[in-house]
Amino acid sequence: MIASVAFRNFKALRNTSLRLSPFNIVIGANGSGKTSLIQALQRLRTLAMLPLGEAAAVTRVGGPEITIAFAAPHSDVTARLGCTSDVVCDLLRVESPSQVQWDEIKARLGTMRSYAFDHEAMAASALTTSGGGLASNGANLPAVLAARQRNAPAEFARLEAEFLRLLPEFSGIIFEEDSGGRVRFALGIGGAGEPVRAENLSQGVFYLLGLLVLSFDPVPPAVVCIEEIDRGIHPRMFREVRDVLYRLSYPTSFGEIREPVQVIATTHSPYMLDQFRDHPEEVVITQKHGHEARFERLSDRVDLPELLREGTLGDMWFSGVLGGVPEER
Amino acid sequence: MKVALLSESPADEAVLRVLVDAILGEPAQVAPAGYRARGWPNVIQVLPAVIRHLHFNTDVDTLVVTCDSDDSPVHTEAHEAPQYYHPHCRMCQLRAVFRQTSKRFPSAHGRLKVRRVVGVAVPALEAWLLCGRDSDVSEAAWINGQQAGRLPYTRAELKFRIYQTERPSLPHEIQCALRETERHRRDLRRLEYDFPGFAALMKDLKSPPQL
Ligand SMILES: [Zn+2]
Repeated sequence: MIASVAFRNFKALRNTSLRLSPFNIVIGANGSGKTSLIQALQRLRTLAMLPLGEAAAVTRVGGPEITIAFAAPHSDVTARLGCTSDVVCDLLRVESPSQVQWDEIKARLGTMRSYAFDHEAMAASALTTSGGGLASNGANLPAVLAARQRNAPAEFARLEAEFLRLLPEFSGIIFEEDSGGRVRFALGIGGAGEPVRAENLSQGVFYLLGLLVLSFDPVPPAVVCIEEIDRGIHPRMFREVRDVLYRLSYPTSFGEIREPVQVIATTHSPYMLDQFRDHPEEVVITQKHGHEARFERLSDRVDLPELLREGTLGDMWFSGVLGGVPEER
Repeated sequence: MKVALLSESPADEAVLRVLVDAILGEPAQVAPAGYRARGWPNVIQVLPAVIRHLHFNTDVDTLVVTCDSDDSPVHTEAHEAPQYYHPHCRMCQLRAVFRQTSKRFPSAHGRLKVRRVVGVAVPALEAWLLCGRDSDVSEAAWINGQQAGRLPYTRAELKFRIYQTERPSLPHEIQCALRETERHRRDLRRLEYDFPGFAALMKDLKSPPQL
């Protein structure tokens, strides 16, 4: 969907660009630009939904600017976000051979979603009527799951089966609706045991459910950004978490027949990074030196084969050899 | 026989369980949760701790360790000479860790030391899985390729041949791996002949325990 993003004078991203793959795992120090990347794409989505501004109005010499290029069949379209400051990007200029092309892109951009899950919000009950798309913090998780079971029972069954495979201590997802039109969920534990209510579940269970809701979405967004995909989850499960997200980006590898979803995920876990040893082209490192940050693809490291002989990717990252580490005074 | 496994992934472990039983000709008593390393060189980093733990804290008598050779030098007959040690050969390195770690251990749980069983898959476990199916896949073919400077296949190609995708899900990977292992379970001779890195594992596993 999105082929590349180039930044000029946007926060710490003074002059850097990034090619995006179908799947992208972004690592780096705090405040090095991981979130800026996701914010820029969100901003693009918001502005794309509004009427286009005058072309001349966005030509602000030296001001922050973000240029987005799109993948085939829209590779001759570019969108430029013009900003008055680091926080206000209010103008969009589009170069497209035709309005039809831009309209197609716009329709797909409109489906883009960003997530930073909040387990407390996910544990709370939700209005039964709120079960459309998953909220950016996952707050309507019970309603989304219940709606999925109601409206797409086959997809829900696959989601539930995958969840139970990953966490075999549970036997099923149980919904309870109250008289106030709110729904909550509990997890069965099989036999005569009482189901475990949402408020007693561990953080990782919610995050995993959130990821599965996205992974088994019958009509998924074109682009999904997810922050901290390793949160709350045992390192031995990281392979599975990676695969839950790969299902979105590489549907045919998982027997799914649908358009691939472009995924941009972030992590701070070296063990999660280890999962991408065979696909360094999927790893993006944000490098920050002083006040300037830039993006690097791990696959652009010519000495990568030698590095991998000496240690795991995660070890290499932690050591500082790959960069993407906090600066110390 | 009480066996513990140290491998690089759940799929490798599933294959190893089948092969261990096939070599022994009877179901071994294998600890349910295997020990896991995050690829090379993490295997060699955790191995001393696993050996020490098994020796003093369990009654396990055999530790089976496997890893992929990737692009490291392959263990050959020449490495078997007494006192020989190749610093970059993973078989030599893993064996040395066993030797050094348990050198000064007092006997515990009725045995002198935990028996060493080491196998190295050249260049990856998928080659073992393809053995007897794809005739171009063997340890000799890989060594010839290394010497000629033109490898006969890549790890990624081997994986694709088995899983039909570069990104198999774990259940798919395990299912495909076990399907291919079935051939070896019935008859280990081809794998033993074409992959000396597996034959070494067999020999170790059949050696008498060190009581
Ligand atoms: Zn050797």
